[in-house]
Amino acid sequence: MADAWLQKLRLSQKTCLVQDGRRKIHFTLSDGTELAEEYDLKSGELIVRKWKKKATLGGYRKWEFEVGEPPAPIVNLDSEGLVESNLNPVFLRKDTKTHFQWRVRNLPYPVDNYKIRISDDRQLILSTVNKKYYKKFSVPDLDRCALPLEEERIDMTHANNTLIISYKKPQEILDMEKTFQQELKKLKASKDGEIDCTPS
Amino acid sequence: MAAQTAEKVQEIREVTRIERIGAHSHIRGLGLDDALEARQVSQGMVGQLKARKAAGVILEIIKDGKIASRGILIAGQPGTGKTAIAMGMAQALGTDTPFTSIAGSEIFSLEMSKTEALTQAFRKSIGVRIKEETEIIEGEIVEVQIDRPATGTGAKVGKLTLKTTEMETIYQLGQKMIESLTKEKAQAGDIVTIDKATGKITKLGRSFTRARDYDAMGAQTKFVQCPEGELQKRKEVVHTVTLHEIDVINSRTQGFLALFSGDTGEIKSEVREQINAKVAEWREEGKAEIVPGVLFIDEVHMLDIECFSFLNRALESDMAPILIMATNRGITRIRGTHYTSPHGIPLDLLDRLVIISTVPYDEKEIKQILKIRCEEEDVEMSDDALTVLTRIGMETSLRYAIQLITAANLVCRKRKGTEVDVDDIKRVYSLFLDESRSTQFLKEYQQEFMFNEMNEEMETS
Repeated sequence: MADAWLQKLRLSQKTCLVQDGRRKIHFTLSDGTELAEEYDLKSGELIVRKWKKKATLGGYRKWEFEVGEPPAPIVNLDSEGLVESNLNPVFLRKDTKTHFQWRVRNLPYPVDNYKIRISDDRQLILSTVNKKYYKKFSVPDLDRCALPLEEERIDMTHANNTLIISYKKPQEILDMEKTFQQELKKLKASKDGEIDCTPS
Repeated sequence: MAAQTAEKVQEIREVTRIERIGAHSHIRGLGLDDALEARQVSQGMVGQLKARKAAGVILEIIKDGKIASRGILIAGQPGTGKTAIAMGMAQALGTDTPFTSIAGSEIFSLEMSKTEALTQAFRKSIGVRIKEETEIIEGEIVEVQIDRPATGTGAKVGKLTLKTTEMETIYQLGQKMIESLTKEKAQAGDIVTIDKATGKITKLGRSFTRARDYDAMGAQTKFVQCPEGELQKRKEVVHTVTLHEIDVINSRTQGFLALFSGDTGEIKSEVREQINAKVAEWREEGKAEIVPGVLFIDEVHMLDIECFSFLNRALESDMAPILIMATNRGITRIRGTHYTSPHGIPLDLLDRLVIISTVPYDEKEIKQILKIRCEEEDVEMSDDALTVLTRIGMETSLRYAIQLITAANLVCRKRKGTEVDVDDIKRVYSLFLDESRSTQFLKEYQQEFMFNEMNEEMETS
């Protein structure tokens, strides 16, 4: 299954750019969906992975962040109607080499307040004893490779108002990421400010 | 106590919509009963029984939705209620059926070609009912806090706390959301859903946990369970969009390429073909449904021969809407040709139409219409004044008489009267000339107007 996903990426249209110490790759998949990834040049860690899907009626939606922190939106209350207050918990994913990792900032409650379990529809459910926060989220990497979710791989820590949930990457994922990194090296990357125009 | 009344005044001001009064704003429907018989006076409509009944029959065809592309022509003298009938049809169809109303001369724009403008009008009148995923917020209100600025003027700031059985979130509110929350009278303990894209708030009921204070609410209050799980959910909703809207969404050039394309408002035919194919695909898959609407072209004699031949062709497509046209012309020249034809419409197109004709109103009907207009404009008028105005309406035109209502009301207010009487009507009648008196005046003083000689020369040459 991991191969199928790699194959899909291989067949997509790719553009690569090195900028700000990051290797940025933009994929356009066969169904018109756009995928953008950013890797740290030195460590090879995944910093951002975001998706842009086509809306039902055509036209584009906004970027959806799978990994990494979306830039703080310019909030225009009058056009948006209502926005979540910045006092609320902020949920984002930030991976390391060996773990998938989620961070929930602005959660002041101690670690024994949180419970995490796996639901039947392949999702992780984070709930709180004091009923203040609840989040259902999936691990798209595992979904793409059709790997099972395993309870014993999950770990939870809490510090500085932040809850960190880690999920140890299975061997298959690690292998796949290694092959992917090797293929990435082969991709010709244009430097910042360099425009690819060969005069004919 | 004083504060309470002040609050109430504020509330009323926010609830009443300020709508301007248009020429046809008194029309609320076609005024038909269940057997499609026209009532003499109903829903703002007066008289024209035959035409209204015919319109009602057409309405049934549209509601049925099976027949594509029918052409209807409403023909009649000026001021016999053609546009009113079309408006009534639009009102009776409701908001879910697309109704596009254009004037014949709108087609002639410098921005786009005639056929493009017509195609757009056609596509605006075809709806597609489709399921789409939207984000909604569903939860119980814990607290609504709306702060008025200390200075009394300026934007209000608001905070809304919502919860489910599992979580709680605080939202900041924009101006529009604050208004709709006040309008809905949402308060702590209500279960609401908010559509994130449109900002529409729907009150589902009261939370069961608040059931004990039942004495504070009406009998129709519904109690519902507090929602579970996450506050934000993805939900499938069905809504109607027009083909033109889908065209526009898909024709916009993305990214920096948009800088190079001069946007003329025209939509490429390839885009349209793609969308037609897509819609057909959705229909086969059962994802979407076509809602044929109505295209109303007023003053249709303004179209030229090219437009008419385009209409001939367009009406044959199975994606065409019901086409309603109105004209006040008799046998006249077809625009763009030297041929004359009834209503200024080529015979081959006339052959494809069914024609509804309107007849001039009689005295009683004019009186009734003037009465309705008085109510619409909030004008008190004495019976004598109304009789005089009706006479004026009979002798000049209905439109002129309707315009006098507003003017007479103003004159009446200036003399601090409460009711418009005969003198007010006489006063404005002498102040404003109607068409025939103005023509009379022109004939008398023709010599003293400018460029007069030139006109005569042109006529003789």
